[in-house]
Amino acid sequence: MQRWTSQALAVPPRTSWQRADLEFEGVEHDGASFVMHVFLNNPDAGEATPRTPEQRYAGYLTVFAHGDCWGDVGHCDIPEPVSAFDQRPPHPLTPFDATLEITQALDALPDDTGEITVTVLAFNRDGDTDGVLRFKELTLLTYA
Amino acid sequence: MTITARPAPNAAPVRLKVRKNIDSLSAQELSDFRRAVKQAMALNDKRGFEYFAGWHGVPLGWCQHHDPLFLPWHRAYLYWLELALQSEVPGVTLPWWDWSKSAGIPAAYSSAQADGDDNVLAKAAINVVNATHKSGWPTETSRAPGEVPNTPAPPYQQEWAYAMKATTYADFSQRLWTVHDTLHVWVGGTMGQVDWAAYDPIFFAHHANVDRAWRIWQAANPGANPPANILDQSLQTDPAMQVHQTLDVHQLGYEYAGTQATVPGSA
Repeated sequence: MQRWTSQALAVPPRTSWQRADLEFEGVEHDGASFVMHVFLNNPDAGEATPRTPEQRYAGYLTVFAHGDCWGDVGHCDIPEPVSAFDQRPPHPLTPFDATLEITQALDALPDDTGEITVTVLAFNRDGDTDGVLRFKELTLLTYA
Repeated sequence: MTITARPAPNAAPVRLKVRKNIDSLSAQELSDFRRAVKQAMALNDKRGFEYFAGWHGVPLGWCQHHDPLFLPWHRAYLYWLELALQSEVPGVTLPWWDWSKSAGIPAAYSSAQADGDDNVLAKAAINVVNATHKSGWPTETSRAPGEVPNTPAPPYQQEWAYAMKATTYADFSQRLWTVHDTLHVWVGGTMGQVDWAAYDPIFFAHHANVDRAWRIWQAANPGANPPANILDQSLQTDPAMQVHQTLDVHQLGYEYAGTQATVPGSA
């Protein structure tokens, strides 16, 4: 299991939003498939931590991933478009953005919560403790 | 919903083919479907099951995931495969596995034997067409439900309902591909790897249910289409298809139904 905890993210006043999403930007999916469980303000969360509102559990995302590279050399490299007229669809391994709606979990935090940390527990088949979840940035988006 | 559609404006209405729940197929329907898959698996050319399986990952890698092309590409994929199966056994359709309500692998896909033979829906050889076999390639399909620890198991009723509540294509597509991913990872083995997943026949029952979800959501959200800038995007299938061609299942000649009962009319 890989545990990752974010830096603090600012939370706007509760009266200013109706929906909240966590956006994991640039998720890599060229490795093994994995599942990630997300907690708010619970950096000590572990595999045995109940996934309950009391533990500030926010939900899960699963990533159906590529697995090992079985092609020839370069098969899994993500090429740049060769010209402005390149109309081929994006390479299948292009990193993607994964969204987890956390409205209920964020709403359950005390009203004066000014910031949150996000702890992710990521599991793959091989029990790796590193490199399971790889992504570029995490954003908290709220919507009025 | 309707049971007929016009392939062209001036054409006579044609009866749509109905994709059914795998658990509600009659014995004859299930036997016919197995026969179609088995016969297609015996073909090592572009009519064969293995050729179509190769579109998704090894060797062709045409699939689209985690982007707006996810639903259109897989709808086109199922369309072309279903036609190939109908060339083997006329009238067969792809059954769907309703993992929003059912726990575990459907019996039709898990029983080792069927119709007095090995059940091709439970385990199948992997014969990659038009590629030199590489060391380490799997030679037969496998499943390992729960192999990734802490992956939720079906039924995914809440996830299904959450997707259906979406009011935009972008939200719906993302919510649906998320639960789709979960099912793949939960089944594990061949299904847990993008490169090999489609060699397991259960892949297509899973994706028929994904496609059914899109169909149901479309009916509830008319006009909620993919972004305009991808409607003319070509999808990598053989033959190619554009996104806009995938939007209406009636123009692809099929519909989904939980049950179907027909009696003669008065004429």
